[in-house]
Amino acid sequence: MTKQTFLHDKHIKLGAKMVDFAGWHMPVQYSSIIEEHKTVRESVGIFDVSHMGELIVTGEDSLPYLNKIVPQDISKLIDKKAVYCQLTNKQGGIIDDLIIYKIDENKYLIIANASRIDEDLNWMVRNKVGFDVNIINESHNYSLLAVQGPKSAELMYSLGIQELPGFFYIKRGELFNINLWISRTGYTGEDGVEILVKNEFSEYLWDKLLEAGEKFGIKPIGLGARDTLRLEAALHLYGNDLDEDTTPVEAGLSWSIPKDKTDDYNGKSIIETQLKTGGMKKLIGLKMLDRNIARHGYDVYYNNEKVGVVTSGGISPIRGDNIALAYIKPLDNLTVGSTIQILIRDKLHNAEIVKRPFVEKRNKEIKK
Amino acid sequence: MNENALCTKTHEYVLEQGGKYEIGITDYAIEQLGDIVFIELPEVGSEFTKNEAFATIESVKAASEIYMPISGKIAEINEQLVNSPELLNDENYEEKWLVKIVSAADQVEFADLLDYSDYKEEVE
Repeated sequence: MTKQTFLHDKHIKLGAKMVDFAGWHMPVQYSSIIEEHKTVRESVGIFDVSHMGELIVTGEDSLPYLNKIVPQDISKLIDKKAVYCQLTNKQGGIIDDLIIYKIDENKYLIIANASRIDEDLNWMVRNKVGFDVNIINESHNYSLLAVQGPKSAELMYSLGIQELPGFFYIKRGELFNINLWISRTGYTGEDGVEILVKNEFSEYLWDKLLEAGEKFGIKPIGLGARDTLRLEAALHLYGNDLDEDTTPVEAGLSWSIPKDKTDDYNGKSIIETQLKTGGMKKLIGLKMLDRNIARHGYDVYYNNEKVGVVTSGGISPIRGDNIALAYIKPLDNLTVGSTIQILIRDKLHNAEIVKRPFVEKRNKEIKK
Repeated sequence: MNENALCTKTHEYVLEQGGKYEIGITDYAIEQLGDIVFIELPEVGSEFTKNEAFATIESVKAASEIYMPISGKIAEINEQLVNSPELLNDENYEEKWLVKIVSAADQVEFADLLDYSDYKEEVE
């Protein structure tokens, strides 16, 4: 049975084209993916991402427990601060990528991918032996709305918010007399917020935000543009760019791993070795040198030899060219500026290795 | 779309125009694809059999193969669409054919094609 968010009827009424995604019936586009993409880069867009998972970890051992299941150092989190994490297996492979928020002493909120909630819970429960923690799946009680784009802060302030949380912080707030949580996070590379609200208020909130956002040019944004936006920002998509056979080092996520964490965590020895020597493969960014589009699953060639595979690819509406993320063998001579080939419909097409992200992220310059 | 076009179940159409046949994709297919960002067409002079893939159209989301409604030899390709694929989404743009072919297809090849009105009923 395909699941529906509490905003499902709203999407239908707005004329959205619906698709099945991770077991949910979700809007892929309302008008045009390219138009929606540009709206988020230029003004502000609103996304229903209620399919995502919300897990709460409480109990006296919350901190040592979380420190065991992710490579990141949760002890560094101050109240209301968030950190981007990977849930790793014993081999350092990525079971899911998460955002963990410290709500309070011994209370943490985890935002998980919709497609991975069951696997996450299984693994988390298996790892809780010996720890005094409770793991509660609150996913079915909460809706998540993302408001993203350069005008998102202005919109929020126009609604009477006194002070937005700083980048990667969360705070309690009130909008239209509804109590909710606002975090300064997103999946677009733009400034923006994600609003966590009890399901029963989500329809009202969605309508009110669309109405109040009208003067800022707000539009509803589907999963299609969510994908092109995150690709330009070179943000990983679980299932495409991340899986259980890929380590954070291989995925280009070494920046997220503290080198001085003393606690042991799942996959630590492998990840620490790879931090020094590199992994079995490495993630690269590509731009196509002709008009062809590299897509998920296409092979990467160098000197007529297969060296890797594209994991995400498509157009960049902002750059006007075609971009991709791919994993290749870690060959020394393949670096930024190198030309490699993508096999597209039985022909090799040139692509250049470029820096990630593909467009400049604009969410880190925000003030608290 | 021209009401006289004949359509395939895979959403191509063929329309006779002055001894040649125009081949393209239906308005329904364009609507379903969304933003079209890349079109690859065959070379003039190349020959294809009925149901053979002859072109590729890519939307933002995916690449789709386009199949020949009837057999024939490519006489002309729509260069304008190759250069500006987004024109296929433009309601005011009339020239939505992909290729024109010369064909010696007999009635058997036409037998499974649908009248545009029947096709519309089928997809709606």
